[in-house]
Amino acid sequence: MDRSEAQSRPKRYIDFGRWIRLGIGVIVVGFLLFRLWNVLWIERAYGLDTWTRFAVSGIILGSVYAVVALGYTLVYGILFMINFAHGDVMMLGAFAGYFTLEALKSIGFLNRSVGTSVLSVIIAFSVGMLFSMLIAVLLERIAYRPLRTAPRLVPLISAIGSSLFLQNMAQLAFGAERHTYANPDMIQRNSGWMVMIQGKEVLITYTGVLTLVISFLLMVGLFLLVQKTKMGKAMRAVAQDKETAALMGIDVDQVISNTFAISGLLAGAAGVMWGLHMGILYHYVGFIPGMKAFTAAVLGGIGNIPGAMLGGLTLGILEAVGPAILGIPFQLKDVLAFSILVLVLIFRPTGILGEVLSKERA
Amino acid sequence: MKRTSLESGLLIGCLSLFFIVLGVTSLTGSLVQDWFKLSSPILGGWLLLFLMTFWGGTLAFKKSPSKSWSETLRTGLSVGLVAGIMLALTIWGLGTLNAQAVPIREWLVQLTPAAIAMLTMGRAPVVAALLMFVVMLLAGIGGAAWAYAALHYQWRSVLNTRWLSARESVINMSLVQKYQQHQYSKQIAYGVGALVLLTAPLYLGRYWNYTLGTVGLYVILGLGLNVVVGMAGLLDLGYVAFFAIGSYTMALLTAPQPHDIVMSFWLALPIGVLLAACAGVLLGIPVLRMRGDYLAIVTLGFGEIIRILSKSDVLTDFSGGPRGVRAVGGPMLFGLNLNNEFYFMYFIILGIIIVAYATHQLQRSRVGRAWMAIREDEDVAEAMGINTLKYKLLAFAMGSGFAGFSGALFASRNKFTGPEDFTLLVSINVLSLVIIGGMGSIPGVIVGALVLKGLPEMLRQLDDYRMLAFGGLLVIMMILRPEGLIPSSRRKMELHDDESEALVPDVLVEGGEV
Amino acid sequence: MRTRVVFVITLVMALALLTGCGGSAFECEDEWGCAEIKSGQTVKVAYIGPTTGDYSSFGIDMSRGAELAVAYHPDVKGFPVELVIEDTQGSPEQGAAVANKLAADPRVVAIDGHTFSGSTEVAIPIYEDAKIVMMSPSATTPELTDLGSPVFNRVAFTDRQQGDAAAAYIYENLGIRKIALMHDGGAYGQGLAEMTGEFFEALGGTVVGKEAITPGETDYSAPLAAIAASEPELIYFGGYDADSAVLASQMGGAGLENAIFFGCDGTYGSQFLDLAGEAAEGAYSTFVPIPESGAFTKFREDYKSKYGDEQGELSPFSPHAHDALAVLLNALDQVAIESGDNLYIPRKALADAVRNTKDFEALTGTITCSDTGECAAASILFMIAQDGKWVPGPGQ
Repeated sequence: MDRSEAQSRPKRYIDFGRWIRLGIGVIVVGFLLFRLWNVLWIERAYGLDTWTRFAVSGIILGSVYAVVALGYTLVYGILFMINFAHGDVMMLGAFAGYFTLEALKSIGFLNRSVGTSVLSVIIAFSVGMLFSMLIAVLLERIAYRPLRTAPRLVPLISAIGSSLFLQNMAQLAFGAERHTYANPDMIQRNSGWMVMIQGKEVLITYTGVLTLVISFLLMVGLFLLVQKTKMGKAMRAVAQDKETAALMGIDVDQVISNTFAISGLLAGAAGVMWGLHMGILYHYVGFIPGMKAFTAAVLGGIGNIPGAMLGGLTLGILEAVGPAILGIPFQLKDVLAFSILVLVLIFRPTGILGEVLSKERA
Repeated sequence: MKRTSLESGLLIGCLSLFFIVLGVTSLTGSLVQDWFKLSSPILGGWLLLFLMTFWGGTLAFKKSPSKSWSETLRTGLSVGLVAGIMLALTIWGLGTLNAQAVPIREWLVQLTPAAIAMLTMGRAPVVAALLMFVVMLLAGIGGAAWAYAALHYQWRSVLNTRWLSARESVINMSLVQKYQQHQYSKQIAYGVGALVLLTAPLYLGRYWNYTLGTVGLYVILGLGLNVVVGMAGLLDLGYVAFFAIGSYTMALLTAPQPHDIVMSFWLALPIGVLLAACAGVLLGIPVLRMRGDYLAIVTLGFGEIIRILSKSDVLTDFSGGPRGVRAVGGPMLFGLNLNNEFYFMYFIILGIIIVAYATHQLQRSRVGRAWMAIREDEDVAEAMGINTLKYKLLAFAMGSGFAGFSGALFASRNKFTGPEDFTLLVSINVLSLVIIGGMGSIPGVIVGALVLKGLPEMLRQLDDYRMLAFGGLLVIMMILRPEGLIPSSRRKMELHDDESEALVPDVLVEGGEV
Repeated sequence: MRTRVVFVITLVMALALLTGCGGSAFECEDEWGCAEIKSGQTVKVAYIGPTTGDYSSFGIDMSRGAELAVAYHPDVKGFPVELVIEDTQGSPEQGAAVANKLAADPRVVAIDGHTFSGSTEVAIPIYEDAKIVMMSPSATTPELTDLGSPVFNRVAFTDRQQGDAAAAYIYENLGIRKIALMHDGGAYGQGLAEMTGEFFEALGGTVVGKEAITPGETDYSAPLAAIAASEPELIYFGGYDADSAVLASQMGGAGLENAIFFGCDGTYGSQFLDLAGEAAEGAYSTFVPIPESGAFTKFREDYKSKYGDEQGELSPFSPHAHDALAVLLNALDQVAIESGDNLYIPRKALADAVRNTKDFEALTGTITCSDTGECAAASILFMIAQDGKWVPGPGQ
């Protein structure tokens, strides 16, 4: 049903839309450059240390977005469907990690030695990832699989319903109040390396670096999985054409199930990273970050794995730096993020790096 | 032991555990306690668990119908065994932990000491667990036996024929026959309906006028979104934005603060509708070219953008900021102040009639058929010569205009408007009522609004579970009955597409002229 | 046709005459009319607040305070008092729905509520219409009493009073001259932060930075970094405990190690301390101290024995909810008129009696209402977090 916009649209005699788009683009870019110049050379409200802080905060946030975006990208690449509940799967993974760390803390394992601390974090990641994987697979089995041949609107609504359900389920089971993540002492929040910039100390937190490293590893791992393994090959085949893939002897149901499992693993990892770095957790931490991560996936080019990473980092940095450049309060950063989504979809619907996983849409 | 019955048992066991963790058992307990004036909530909670396993028994039987009583008993026994073991272990565990004063509720908030006491009936954990095990065994066997009996003794069909014959006899009564054959039977029905509607606000009283007024505003919202989602097939998740625009227009134009343009309600109302429709077009032009699911997420973003902007520091002087706008003006007619929920009820009823009539006519017109073609297959529609963008924009503008209308009435009736009235939840509520009522179906939307907005108002205790139920309902409806509770006839045909061929020529002919 | 109309009109008039004359011997002389409580019926009062939803801890705690107030004052001239508890979920829309529900009930005579300012604002015209007197325990927006409603009163101190006191405390007691303002974009937080800023500048201090955040997020490092660039000595935050905790715990990482976090009465409570952990140390909040008295000790004991929780654990406002209702019940005792078997409550006289409350001994202090309906007795105390507990801040 869908197709890429530019190709199949009938040619008009004069393409006004294109000129309008160009005009808007020039205005937006021009205004941004003007503000940037203004902020950097005229107002000079922030020193280099502050810009570094913005960048650090943005990169870390962006790398979490990136990992969540990877999950969106995978599922979208194969089913052409926004898995609205993906953010909530991440939230449940974060809760699973939270309970694991609390349990390890209560038996005194968490801080017994460096080794147990490292082991605890690994256990928390494993539990969070496995739990998210379970939820994602169940979600696909219950809410999406029966609707695979239905009109496009139907699975989309089912996805929104699932998201609502998971969110409210977490609120009912775990309560509406916030929970604090129990970090091991060696990676307490607000502890890290001090970097001197223009005579001022800028903190690079351990949890932040951990987040960045893990998300990069996950991206590389996923890229290799999709490009090099047999399972990845099957996934790419299904992404291109389900019928033909089935004819070639690929179990399409199994491949889709695998895709959801992988996206769940990624969401779980993102959830635990979120908890370790941000420290505060409640039932609503999945939905809006999920939407942002989807924005990031679109920004980088949906279906494109390095694109999701790039999109995530770009969005994170823009959210941290954008309000400062534009001189608006930070409460408007969600406005900024969603405006970016609209702009990207108008100007370059295929994203920065283009859509890769499947070249042609079903 | 059959695999299917073990599976059913496992499923029911998991569901029951899920209910316990989410507090559904405690809720049922307290509801039953309230309704029947019992001294404790134990009966209700246990009844729920019993019924679950009972249902599990029937489920297992249906999956693989047994031929004899003994086989049926075995099916029920295995279901009860699995569910019973799971529940008994849970109750034993919870009871023991509770007895040792472990603060379970710090992790799972619904498992309060009171809830656990309800599950263990206030007895020792072991006793309660054994009791639960026995009860679940009985429930499983009972369920399977019930299903066996229903299958083999045909009670249901007996009941069914009785019911049908009763219906038949009513229909054949001379009075009813005469009425149906009467020349004006339809008009009489409409007349009675109109009379009921017109007199309803008189005897409803203040509270019901207000509450049903809110439901009515949601009906208007639903009818508007129905045009966008149900007829044109465009998933709009930021519908609340247009509601907010209508509401804020009314508020800013008629309130003394912050702009001191104290305009008449009658002037502000059409301006609100127009502005909302214009906003729909402005958003639609860039956005409607996108793929369906991108549209969903962009509109969601737009809804959030409007809400955040309306409360932001940047626009505080313009929109009243987080404090909102107070003293919003109400309608005056011939020097008569009509500004209370009683007269508003009439406005709202009038609004619903106008909007319902308009959408009904549109649905049957060429425009409606063009929308249907777009919803069915955009490429084909475009190939047939339908200017898809134009029709999509029209749908968007109409839906937004109706939302603006509802919003303007909302602000004026409440005499207040603020950013907290326009959260994402409003969009989700409206979407749910359209989908659950039946996409594209006008009566469906009205029933949907009554059920989804009116019912929770009456059952306040269930409020915590409202969104959970909406979410679950959306999924279940999509799987079992995507056409909604009261489907429009066309939609039903499309979704059960065996008979849908008949529609295609219709679209082709109409679309070709556009 | 005409004869029938005439007949109906006569019938209606006859009925009206019958009920009018034959009904009761009591004649109500009150401008606003009287509520009639027949023998065996109850006098209804209501507590209204968010008993479910995100702010349910406030609503549940305060409804308990109201329940205890009724337990201490169970009847008006022998007619039992019935407490109705209605839920607003904290939203103005639900607040209006609930207000309409109560306004339709002729036996509801007084309202302990509403709890939040937004909901209260929507409700005031509805109660004014229905002539029901209200006493809010916690609606703090200053403008509410500026509306000049004869039915609205409150025992809460306003945001203006809090801002004034906070600015003075920061300037004089802490000796700080450079502050930054932050708020959560809500009506309460924004108003409070702005007022504090105004008062602080009036004292001669400077506000070096302002920033608004999105409530409910878990990462505020970017806005904090922006604030840090202006090097304030203290951050004043208007908003609730969860966001306060996130801010306080991320200040250290954003270059604000030496700045003080100064919250408001939305910050006070155990939730902030639990969430922020060690980062809470040295943070300030606002608290309304309840003077130690025999009555308050009893209140705490009864609360604990009746509900199983410590008073003050869920929210600090249960004494306020108690006091608001106690004032209302006290006024009811003064104005209620017994006549025959029935009890009559003149509504205007009741509203006046509430407004004229003077030297009424309550939990939060001695309550005297101003002629605009400000009845707050309590003083304001600024608390500092030390060793995981809130203790009074220095210099008070």
